[in-house]
Amino acid sequence: MERKTIGFYLKIYLKLIAQDIKSKMSYRADFIISTIGMVCTNIAGFISFWILFQNFPSVNGWTYYEMLFLYGFSLIAITPVQCLFDNNWSLRINVFSGDFIKYCFRPINIFFYYQSEIFDVKGLGQLAFGIGTLAYAWYKLALPVTALMVIKTIVFLITASLIMMAMQNAAAASCFWIENSFYLLDLAFRFKDYAKYPVTIFGPVFRFIFTFLLPIAFIAYYPSLVILRPDEVPVLSWLSPVIGIVFFYISYRIWMYGASRYSGTGS
Amino acid sequence: MEPIIQIKDVTKEFKVLNRREGIKGSLKDLFSRDYKIVRAVDHVTMDVMQGEIVGYLGPNGAGKSTTIKMMTGVLEPTSGEIRAAGIVPYKNRTKNSQKIGVVFGQRTQLWWALPLIESFKLLKDIYQISDEKYRSMLDLYQSLVDIEPLLHKPVRQMSLGQRTLSDILAAFLHDPNIVYLDEPTIGLDVSMKSKIRLLIHALNEQNNTTVILTTHDMGDVDALCRRIVIIDHGKMLYDNDIENLKGLFGSYRTLKIRTDGDMNKKAEGIGAEFPDLSVKVSEDDEWISILVDEGKIKVMEVLHQLEEKEVIRDMQLDEISTEDVIKKIYEGGEA
Repeated sequence: MERKTIGFYLKIYLKLIAQDIKSKMSYRADFIISTIGMVCTNIAGFISFWILFQNFPSVNGWTYYEMLFLYGFSLIAITPVQCLFDNNWSLRINVFSGDFIKYCFRPINIFFYYQSEIFDVKGLGQLAFGIGTLAYAWYKLALPVTALMVIKTIVFLITASLIMMAMQNAAAASCFWIENSFYLLDLAFRFKDYAKYPVTIFGPVFRFIFTFLLPIAFIAYYPSLVILRPDEVPVLSWLSPVIGIVFFYISYRIWMYGASRYSGTGS
Repeated sequence: MEPIIQIKDVTKEFKVLNRREGIKGSLKDLFSRDYKIVRAVDHVTMDVMQGEIVGYLGPNGAGKSTTIKMMTGVLEPTSGEIRAAGIVPYKNRTKNSQKIGVVFGQRTQLWWALPLIESFKLLKDIYQISDEKYRSMLDLYQSLVDIEPLLHKPVRQMSLGQRTLSDILAAFLHDPNIVYLDEPTIGLDVSMKSKIRLLIHALNEQNNTTVILTTHDMGDVDALCRRIVIIDHGKMLYDNDIENLKGLFGSYRTLKIRTDGDMNKKAEGIGAEFPDLSVKVSEDDEWISILVDEGKIKVMEVLHQLEEKEVIRDMQLDEISTEDVIKKIYEGGEA
């Protein structure tokens, strides 16, 4: 049998998503309520952000619109992890109950197969919200709209998503070794909140942690610098796409290694 | 012909933490390095030919699941060799998956929210089944069971029986060389059980698929398996035809009689008369059952002797069931 190509996986993925969305729509009330919930969460998040800036004109030299840019940027960056990797949240339950074994018997990549099972539509609302916020901040900051700027933004958005995914994959994969990995996963997901702020507002210790240990500064701060303040960009910012790919790959290997040593429960 | 599954001297050991009791013990366990080695499968060897249905039996915790997991490639043997359809399963899980189908009773592998037909279509893509083969499989299914009402029903709305049936159909869809069925009839009613047995039998016959069946239901074994393998405490106790099995403990038959008076007292008397035979009173106090080894004494002879002393109101003659023999083997294996 020939090696399975990206086209093969893409085709299957699109079909799976189509089926998943179809089936989600069949629980209509659930779908509507969770969409409303998502909108409310985003609005509440924005309001607290707005109130903060009614009282302080700037945070550590960052203006309201610059902060808004960062905020919108981080919202878009976490959308892929929310839409595509939502099944990571159920991983520990599947592993604990032994249901994970069913993923071991298909002739396709197990990481792909597992993640492809769920596509979280709710994340799309957040994406729209993030794009709106980013566009508004872009306009207010009078940033030029050139092809280069757009490409830069997209590249760094992808980078940021990769890092977010990497953190979540690695945290979820911990359940292959420890029984209750929920707190780790929750922790990894909560750290995204810190991504909304410029890393310079934190003390040197946290700045070090957020740059090198838990690379959340790469989710929005370093990438945004490239676009907002091109003249004061540290070398690290330019490195972030590479770091994103490396981190994602490492998390994927960890996840796959965990899956390979999984042995199921007795039946 | 080369066997489709070759298992050579396979052993699987697990490292298990010696757990202590209580909260204090649990805290200690956090830092404990006190492991013991548990041997779940102990030097098992067997060959399976293409097209065979093998009943893989053993009491709970005997090592059946572990063996199946090694055959399917989920676990790596500690020592020994496994080849299934020409592949070393744990070294090439993905390639092995293409050639096998797996069903775990009560644990569906289908997409929970999708109608069966959508699951089939996804499997068609995943296993890269050609249109022609896919059609002919569906036609075959249609001729074997009434799948029309199942096809458009989401899996989550199915009864356990329908789900198991669907899972079995899905496992055979890509025409695998080997299908592993782990307790496929568990929790099903009698008519569903027989439906599923017929289906497995037909699919095995049509496609010459090798089937490895683990079960605790001797009805499954009697209906499907010509060969059985019994394992206990990780060791293989028996590997042969099911007919040989019954001769293993001599040719036993159970004679049941009903007489007047106190059954228990009568049973004692009979027991004293035939010290070689096991004499029991049935649980409902209705019958005295006598297990007769026909190698030593004929049933007719026993009956004849009894008749001289007792008034026999009624009698029954049971052949020893597979279940009884298996039970004897399990019990013997433990001694």
